[in-house]
Amino acid sequence: MSDLIVLPLVLPLFGAFLLPIVMRTSISIGAWIGPAILAYGCWILGDQWMSGTALPFSLAIGGFAPPMGINLYIDSLALLFAFAVQLLGLLFWPFKIDQETARRQALMLLLVAASTGLALSGDLFNLYVFYELVAVATFGLIAASGSSAAYASTIRYLILSGIGSVLTLLGIALIYSQTGTLNLAHLAQLAPEQLNNKLGLTAFLTILIGVGVKAELFPVNTWAPEVYATAASRVSAFLAGLVSKLALLIILRLLVLIFHQPEAVQVMLVLGILGVITGELAAWRAKDVRRMLAFSSIGQLGMIFIALAIPEQGGLLAVLALTFHHLLIKSGLFMLADGWGGAIEKLRGAAKRSPLAAAIFVLFSLSLIGMPPLPGFWAKFTLITQLAAQTSPLYLIGLTVFLLATVIEAAYLFRLAALLYGPAAEDTPIDTIPKPAGLSLATASLFGIGLLAAALFITPVGDLLSHVAGQAANADLYINTVFAGTGGSQ
Amino acid sequence: MMPEISLELILYTTALGLISIGLAGVVLSRHLFRMVLALVIAEAGANLMLVLAGYRWDAVAPILTTLGEHPPMVDPVPQAMVLTAIVIGVGIQALAVSILIRIRQRYGTLDRSQVAERMDAEIADTAGIPRDVSQESPLGERPLPSLPDSTVEIRGGHS
Repeated sequence: MSDLIVLPLVLPLFGAFLLPIVMRTSISIGAWIGPAILAYGCWILGDQWMSGTALPFSLAIGGFAPPMGINLYIDSLALLFAFAVQLLGLLFWPFKIDQETARRQALMLLLVAASTGLALSGDLFNLYVFYELVAVATFGLIAASGSSAAYASTIRYLILSGIGSVLTLLGIALIYSQTGTLNLAHLAQLAPEQLNNKLGLTAFLTILIGVGVKAELFPVNTWAPEVYATAASRVSAFLAGLVSKLALLIILRLLVLIFHQPEAVQVMLVLGILGVITGELAAWRAKDVRRMLAFSSIGQLGMIFIALAIPEQGGLLAVLALTFHHLLIKSGLFMLADGWGGAIEKLRGAAKRSPLAAAIFVLFSLSLIGMPPLPGFWAKFTLITQLAAQTSPLYLIGLTVFLLATVIEAAYLFRLAALLYGPAAEDTPIDTIPKPAGLSLATASLFGIGLLAAALFITPVGDLLSHVAGQAANADLYINTVFAGTGGSQ
Repeated sequence: MMPEISLELILYTTALGLISIGLAGVVLSRHLFRMVLALVIAEAGANLMLVLAGYRWDAVAPILTTLGEHPPMVDPVPQAMVLTAIVIGVGIQALAVSILIRIRQRYGTLDRSQVAERMDAEIADTAGIPRDVSQESPLGERPLPSLPDSTVEIRGGHS
């Protein structure tokens, strides 16, 4: 039953509006609504994956076939992202039960619904609407932590994000004025004739910068450190781990389907390189854990942009490997920051207070740096071989920067690890050293187990990712699926 | 001879002009409320651009009154999209203004750099990073120059 795929998108949206009303009458019933919806969403998407429904398929919404109507496009990549959204929504669920968290839970459901929409939508304007919906839910969740600094960081993020949405809308208007359609598959058909020019390039660059706000692209990422420092750890984990990757997914689809100009790729490569340099250096200088993680995630996303600039399918494999690796690691690290969020100096000797947390941190650090046999090594190795195979000197600069960034990463991560395992400061009793909260530590351990499992089964995981990359890189498959498979699915 | 300027050209110029004015306003304003207003102007420009993308000068409003033959119609899709974009924009602006009210209540100011400064100070305090340089006193008056990296930290907050 492929029609069921709309439920993970519709049910959280419905639940988000239902929840505040139910919470008013009965908190104990209301508390179950969100987790139940998300668990059901996980089950539906997992079932789609397991039951071997022929992927990719396209689903016309509202009874009009594309390009007239709008459609959802579900390939392995979209399904994987949608599943990750539901699962992380469940893992980062704000469980505490009171009236205040009722609002937070509603916003979380809204965020999950909009993120699922971003993963599945096959239409440029719907992508824009879901993107804005993600933004609104995000603002609410960041401000919900209630400190003055959280409000200040929210408004700064809101203004930057507003600039982004104006630019995105401008890009969409340019594309529409040139082609008269916003369906991605239809655009892919028309692009070689109508968008392979200066106007198409302008449209891509405006959308790149616009969407890049959420993907922490180089010049428009100033919001990241302050937002991740002030928002609740679960929110930061969801934003850094998943929402930034969904913005990347939009850019990936646009690149594969519509924009093939070499200039577009070069701009992205340069911005990615600058992102890696600035992000990693700032992370090295950061004095508190949250901002260190935020800057490091800017650097990591810069690496993914470098990988995205590689025109061949191998580049896409590197993109996916880095993306899912970073998703696991950064979500887990931000869960550890729940409790460890303060100044780095305060964590002296924290390994004695919480050995498990310190061990997980070291595991994540090793994988982030790229120590074999952890998955991070394979992700980075794929990128290095792909970069080295390119002839243009710009890619070699990218490779150099990438290797240097790895050294800097090792420097600041090992510095923290050395502090953790070093002796505690003399005047601090061991009970006062900060320690991650129990639930957060359990969640972080889950991510650690996931990472170890991926390291054990690296061959099947690699095969799966190259299969997913192959499917996502195939523009003809996308076009044929959308225009052939929509008739009977209503 | 004056070159002929079409209405269409004027409208496209207006749209791009509004976007530029808005973006310049966001970058140049010192007051957070003005930044939000500048954003509103830029959004109006983007919406005008979207309407223009589907407009036809020889056509009528896209409402079917008779079956069969009908005159050429304006493309209704961009107009529907602009409606959506306006609704989203208004929602976000309302949220922005309500957050501004909270910031004004807590910090007593909406000046962009003052808010940024207080936010950075609050983040540093919450994290427990020792501040060896006072945020208020100018650096030049000290007998010894303070640590170079901490001064960069303060300036970095303004960006």
